[in-house]
Amino acid sequence: MKELLLRTLRHEPTERAPWVPFAGVHAGKLKGYDATEMLTDADKAFEALMEVNRLYKPDGQPVIFDLQIEAECLGCDLTWAKDCPPSVSGHPLDGSDEEPPVTPCDCKIPTKQSGRIPYVLDVMRRMKAAVGETTALYGLICGPFTLASHLRGNNLFTDMYDFEDEVCDLFAFCKRVCMRMADYYIEAGMDVIAMVDPLISQISTAHFEQFMTEPYTEIFRYIREKGAFSSFFVCGDATRNVEAMCQTGPDSISVDENVNLLAAKRICERYNIAIGGNIPLTSIMLLGNQQDNMKFAVDLLDSVKDKRNFILAPGCDMPYDVPVENCIGVAQAAIETDTVREMVKNYQAEAIDTSGVELPDYANLKKPLIEVFTLDSAQCAACGYMMNAANQAVETFGDAIDMVEYKFIYKENVARCVRMGVPNLPSMYINGELKYRSIIPTRGELEQVIQQAIEACKP
Amino acid sequence: MQRLYLITGFLGAGKTTFLKNFIRLFPGQKIRLIVNEFGREGVDGALLTELDAFLTEIAGGSVFCACRMDQFEKALRETPPGTDVILVEASGLSDPTGVRKLFAQTGRFPDIDYQGAVCLVDAVRFPKLYATARTCLKQLAASDVAVVNKTDCADEAQLARTLACIRGQRPEMPLVQTAFGAVDASILDTLARARQLPAGDLPLTADLTLRRLSVRIAPTITPYDLQKFIEMFAENTFRVKGFVQTSEGMLLADCVGNVVSLRPCENVPVERAGILNVLSGAGMPMRKAVLDACRWYRDDILSVEAD
Repeated sequence: MKELLLRTLRHEPTERAPWVPFAGVHAGKLKGYDATEMLTDADKAFEALMEVNRLYKPDGQPVIFDLQIEAECLGCDLTWAKDCPPSVSGHPLDGSDEEPPVTPCDCKIPTKQSGRIPYVLDVMRRMKAAVGETTALYGLICGPFTLASHLRGNNLFTDMYDFEDEVCDLFAFCKRVCMRMADYYIEAGMDVIAMVDPLISQISTAHFEQFMTEPYTEIFRYIREKGAFSSFFVCGDATRNVEAMCQTGPDSISVDENVNLLAAKRICERYNIAIGGNIPLTSIMLLGNQQDNMKFAVDLLDSVKDKRNFILAPGCDMPYDVPVENCIGVAQAAIETDTVREMVKNYQAEAIDTSGVELPDYANLKKPLIEVFTLDSAQCAACGYMMNAANQAVETFGDAIDMVEYKFIYKENVARCVRMGVPNLPSMYINGELKYRSIIPTRGELEQVIQQAIEACKP
Repeated sequence: MQRLYLITGFLGAGKTTFLKNFIRLFPGQKIRLIVNEFGREGVDGALLTELDAFLTEIAGGSVFCACRMDQFEKALRETPPGTDVILVEASGLSDPTGVRKLFAQTGRFPDIDYQGAVCLVDAVRFPKLYATARTCLKQLAASDVAVVNKTDCADEAQLARTLACIRGQRPEMPLVQTAFGAVDASILDTLARARQLPAGDLPLTADLTLRRLSVRIAPTITPYDLQKFIEMFAENTFRVKGFVQTSEGMLLADCVGNVVSLRPCENVPVERAGILNVLSGAGMPMRKAVLDACRWYRDDILSVEAD
């Protein structure tokens, strides 16, 4: 629900916390595209982002998560990878640390035609037309500090010591780049402009106040005047800069697992600023299972007593290989918290008694048996799609097959899941064999598999 | 068991040159290097072949940023069987605290024996970088030995300023001074000795440069909040130690560098419970950092007193 997120950004009470999955390159995984394809091909990116929207049911969604877009336009060399965004490997303003940085002319500020900006704007416009009514869309911009570091390289840190005036000029240029990018993205329909500045966690509060307070205050004021909402994304242990970030006046900030979210929320409340975060990216989202993810999300939501000013989100851009079911689990926890809390409780019960579970004699079935294990197809989007696929098969094959759904919300079905060894939800089994796990089969693909199963069941 | 060494240090400190020397300290052993992809000067293929070493480059820039730890863990999981030694060169802008925590606080890599971190320091540029990049503070805090490199380029005053920065933050940290990243095998012993966390209490000597604070903590604090509270100022201290009653029982909190250890304990004298002792040198902004942290945990911190 877009309105839910917008209400949070207006600091109004909400019935639940909005959910914003930071699916950058991970979106590509949903459609089998690698990071480079995701970040260069508008058709593939749009298709992948629509799949994020379909499966993860976001209240808000970033469109393109790549902090190198502006840097590339300004002449930085990029090194590309298959499973993460590109890195900057060459800095156009690099040089002797005995000489100050030279601020580029404003004529170098990227235009709508520069670099990959046409691709970004194309995807934004298509997403706006497709889901803009129901999902708040985030346009992400590389923040002035990280952008300056991309341009200047490692000398930036000694510049802050030796050449304060010149480095201020460079930051001011980067600020103007950010404001121009905000123009483009707001015009393309973005509801929220997120300034993403990971290196903010690497400077002291005193340096933040000296170099960043003015540019950020101006950027956030500008975004507000343009009628959009703003967010300040940082990653790493930015704890000590959170208050200074709040003082620049964004509508929200977003932090990762290094920051104590509840303590940070108390700081943000003093400034009436929303805070988003901070599901751990590697330990939970990438390496945990679906139950771990549901449990973490429910525990986090339960720990935030006042849901006003809170956005449930990953700590930062999700790793490419986050299992789809993990994100589905978080989405379900965000949308149906009470139900998922019960599911988690059931799963965590000391010993799940599976003695009452009677499994069919799979080897001697007279006709194929399709078993769909879901969180709850009435509530969980991905589960609903898996059930739709099964229902379509029933329409096609009629009495030639049997089909049953087991919803995880019922304790007896939890026991069946354990007995069957169901790895995650939704999953589809045919004749006791796991056939589809999180990924929904196409109609043709499923019909072919069922046809083979029908043949196999024949005496 | 595979032994893992971490090499950290800011951009330009000479990590790659050091690595080329360090790698020669493991003759006859199967070595794996994990490096970020854009060091200015790579480790050349001939050296790798000569030493039977296998190189993995990690994409994604700041390897140990929370959002890129997945890349590091993926590289670790792909370590070929039979590997004896893993050498990890952190990207210059990265905060290596996450790596220390990975081995100190999780059991995800039971077959890897973490041997500690070496922090490369540029003898000339360090004071400036130390003043501007918190990464330098974190890299020093997360390391066990400092190698002050490029001493041939530094004049006496520059070197003194660099050493003063290090000593101000980590007075107990072993230091090696060198040029061109040259080290011998004694650095491995130095590293092993440095890894032994001082077991005793805080020093009781009347060192005039020492600053000490006693932080009284309410027994309602959760272990997580206690850890995050200490993390907020740990880098500005030599040592943090104390018995703290928490919502989940009595814990011994202990921190050298910036990784906090919390261990259950029993039979703590009443007069010692609930007090965290914080120690730093004269030039470090410990008091301000502790008071800033108190603003985050107002309900849990009862008082802060200078001894």
